[in-house]
Amino acid sequence: MDVLLQALLNGILIGGILICLTVGFQLTFGVLHVIDFAVGGWVMLGGYAAYWASRLLGVDPFISVFFVFVLFAGVGCALGPLIYHVRTSRYARPDLMALAFTFGIFIMMRGGALWLWSFDSRSVDSVLSGASLSIGPVTVPLLRLSAFGMALLLGLGLFVLLYRTRFGMAVRAVAQNRDHAGLMGVDVKRVSAYVYGIYTGITASAGVLLATIYSVNPEVGVRYTLFAFFVAVLAGLGSVGGVLVAGLVLGLVESLVGTYVGTRYSLLVVFATLYLVLLISPKGILQRGI
Amino acid sequence: MSVELRVTDLVTGYGKQEIVHGVSMSARSEEVTCVFGPNGSGKSTVIKAIAGLLPAWSGQLHLGDTELTGLAVHEVVRQGIVMMPQGGGVFPRFTVMENLRMGGYSLRDTAWVEERIETLIDDYPSLQRRRHVAAGSLSGGEQMMVAIARALVPEPAFVLLDEPSAGLSPALVGETMTRVKGLRERGIGVVMIEQNIREALPVADRLYILAGGYRKFAGTSADIQDDRHLMSLYMGGD
Repeated sequence: MDVLLQALLNGILIGGILICLTVGFQLTFGVLHVIDFAVGGWVMLGGYAAYWASRLLGVDPFISVFFVFVLFAGVGCALGPLIYHVRTSRYARPDLMALAFTFGIFIMMRGGALWLWSFDSRSVDSVLSGASLSIGPVTVPLLRLSAFGMALLLGLGLFVLLYRTRFGMAVRAVAQNRDHAGLMGVDVKRVSAYVYGIYTGITASAGVLLATIYSVNPEVGVRYTLFAFFVAVLAGLGSVGGVLVAGLVLGLVESLVGTYVGTRYSLLVVFATLYLVLLISPKGILQRGI
Repeated sequence: MSVELRVTDLVTGYGKQEIVHGVSMSARSEEVTCVFGPNGSGKSTVIKAIAGLLPAWSGQLHLGDTELTGLAVHEVVRQGIVMMPQGGGVFPRFTVMENLRMGGYSLRDTAWVEERIETLIDDYPSLQRRRHVAAGSLSGGEQMMVAIARALVPEPAFVLLDEPSAGLSPALVGETMTRVKGLRERGIGVVMIEQNIREALPVADRLYILAGGYRKFAGTSADIQDDRHLMSLYMGGD
């Protein structure tokens, strides 16, 4: 029983991190129709930003995470119009061009990080590192709990932004039909740029948390890109609400298998889950994707 | 006060494909201007260019003294020209009310928009009852009513309609044409593209016929002598 409780808790905490990682990616897909290969790259750069903030300025990652959000949101807003331009090009297959474009960005991020900071793994220390809470029989690592809290906050924040504001209504309209949103007076290009900025901000913040929990090196991007793809497919491509469920499901699957079957089987089961979802319910577990 | 919407020597198209080869036309408020023509004649392309969905390659667009040429689609809306795309273009996952609110998106004053929606929706009893239903679950006719009501929210000077009767039952086509006449009575200028000439002709004040991207006819419905004359114009004769 205690083991089960601990496994469930671990699963939920991992799920929170997966949600952080994917929610912005999913929003970008829904609004810009771009599968951003660079998602792992933003995670990696966010991690390095936290590392240097901690190393050079002595700022704890749980404080620098807010500055990282603002910084990367700014970078994303600046890059957004370029992505939009590629995606809406009048020439052949802009969908594939956008994929190739973001793949190129990803390669540059990885190469740049290798060149600047070498292959060494860097760990980011926080006051919360190593600390944990004991609630009855289960141990709660504070770092992961905070990351989970962050995921909840992001989920709630996005919900409020999307469903309670004028900007959110414009975003949802653009996600349904770009031309029709424009005909209502929505500046589609600007909305798309802001959405890309929100995405890069959230994803880089997730990178701060991930670098604090694990560590960061220039190669981590590939793994996180794959994870984001997995959660997105499970959630149904483009469905932001689905990410909250899919992230938790995937986290629980990984943790339960790791506890009862063996850690080396957890990725296998995660892949098998995805295979089954694609086979049985290709629109995702909530049937809300594209 | 009557305002004129003027298209002068418009050339435009999709990608590198030129579709419209220098078309001129003019529409006035308090009038219904109909554009007829076979498939591929460029009529939809013309109004997409007016709405800013397509750039004008050459030629000018004016609303009164204001130049519209080169404005992006969301800026054209702010000038008081609202386009209703084919099928109505409602947002299927939005409720009827959310769709109507999107109609007022170009206006800053949200309280005014809510008030405006309440006065408009009184004219549409079927929508009144289904305010909080997702627009995608409404029938084609009801979606068209949502689209027309939504176009009226910002009190436009001109409404551009791309085949409002497409896909509707004959009874609903009649109702739609009545609504179009209603727009004229509100002082709005209507530019309407139609395939359903028989239903649209009695509503039209001005008439343009396009074929192959050129203007083949300009006049009033009184200038059309009979069905055969209309047919020959339609098919690209003289």
